[in-house]
Amino acid sequence: MKLLKLTRTLKEGFINFRRNGWLSVGTISVLAISLYIVSFTLLIGYTANFVLQNIQEKINITVYFSPEVKQERIMEIKEKLAGFSEIKSVDFVSREQALQELEQLSSRNEIIKEAIQEVGGNPLPDSLVIKANNPDQYEIIAKAIENSVFRDDIININYEQNKKEIENLNKIVNLTKKVGMGLGIIFIFLALLITFNTIRITMYSHKQEFEVKRLVGASNIYVQMPFVFEGIFYGFFSAIISIIFIFITAKYISSLSQKMLGIASLMPFYWSHFWILFGILILLGIMLGVISSFIAIRRYLKV
Amino acid sequence: MIKFEKVTKQYPDGYVALQEVDLFINKGEFVSIVGRSGAGKSTLLKLIYAEEYPTEGRVFFNDRPIDVIKRWHLPYFRRNIGTIFQDFKLLPKKNVFENISYALEVAGDSNEEIMKKIPKILDIVKITDKALLYPHQLSGGEQQRVSIARALIHNPQVIIADEPTGNLDPVSGWEIVQLLTKINKFGTTVILATHNKSIVDNLKKRVVAIDKGKIIRDQENGRYVI
Repeated sequence: MKLLKLTRTLKEGFINFRRNGWLSVGTISVLAISLYIVSFTLLIGYTANFVLQNIQEKINITVYFSPEVKQERIMEIKEKLAGFSEIKSVDFVSREQALQELEQLSSRNEIIKEAIQEVGGNPLPDSLVIKANNPDQYEIIAKAIENSVFRDDIININYEQNKKEIENLNKIVNLTKKVGMGLGIIFIFLALLITFNTIRITMYSHKQEFEVKRLVGASNIYVQMPFVFEGIFYGFFSAIISIIFIFITAKYISSLSQKMLGIASLMPFYWSHFWILFGILILLGIMLGVISSFIAIRRYLKV
Repeated sequence: MIKFEKVTKQYPDGYVALQEVDLFINKGEFVSIVGRSGAGKSTLLKLIYAEEYPTEGRVFFNDRPIDVIKRWHLPYFRRNIGTIFQDFKLLPKKNVFENISYALEVAGDSNEEIMKKIPKILDIVKITDKALLYPHQLSGGEQQRVSIARALIHNPQVIIADEPTGNLDPVSGWEIVQLLTKINKFGTTVILATHNKSIVDNLKKRVVAIDKGKIIRDQENGRYVI
């Protein structure tokens, strides 16, 4: 019996939903936008964490030595550094290796090739590539090296540059998160309002029917459930639409970060989280729909 | 079966529709409530199917006071009462069959039960051939018959008719009243509110006359005199 009630009221809710035509389209659009904003913020958050992790693994301190310094001296230093607890690994990159890597990277860049030939010989220095256990420790390590015994042998430490990039990225991401959250809240509120209003309009256009229904002996369930279902339909379809748009956005972000940050495609990462996001959106959409319905019912359907 | 005990009804704006009304209606009776427009007929009926509650006094249905029925229980109570109105109150977007079946759906009848009950009721009110038409495709008399069918579908104990012939021509109106009489013969109590003199006089049944919220006459085998 309960199932019968459910299917009958669901059918009625769906008919109402369809009958509203363009009104439904408008309502779904607003709902979809707010869902999109919320999930976009989530997307950025997830992505940023993932990318940062990725980058941080690539972070290192590269210590460049002046050409006069002999390789044995460099190895001595390497051993010393390897002993520090904060340092995860120290790798030696000879000037020949460095040149090879440069040639590979620039294989399509004629200008660099010519520059190398112009200079004649290998202009690149020997270097030690240092990785820390914890990205926070790079600061300490860099300072220690700067003040170390062998600081005169060093011509350059490139750590500062990466640091700036990371800080910038962090700033952008945090800003995006804040703006996203703020906008998200505003739009959710808007969406609730609009859905509530739409359902109210449906109720109004069915005013005559209520009277009849009540006289004929329809219980609350029969009168109220169609509207709850209507709300659910709004939420559900909005979620589907926003998922489609988020998917497009994700693809875009993935290719963008590939180009700008030089990392691999993010799509596998996105796919692994797809079902969670999908579930969250559907749930959120339906919840918003149901809340709107309940508010409308509370205020306008006296039993 | 239906008892009004010193019932007074005053609306929020101060208007007093009924004053200290005492009324007793037995099971199986056919009662006509007559009076001028605004005398209080509709209010009297509304108090029976709990659309309104008395300001003072009590209304009893089968010896149970109506005002203690909980809000959520009202729908079930209302299935004991069939209502018919001047404006038919049919659902415009449903056809005849669906209008009647709706009353069964909300009571939880299965589709099979509905398919069994509806043809019978359509036959009683003689509207079987128009079962798939929509209200706007029917004449006033036909629409009212659909309303009656819907009112009957739960086998109610009482049928309340509030000016059912108001929008009908004299012939159709009389046909409707005949139908109500037939229903009454089968044991259903009928309460008919009307200001149609000829119908009341021709019925020769109990007449309760109301004027300015008070019952001024209550006669078996009455005539329309106010």
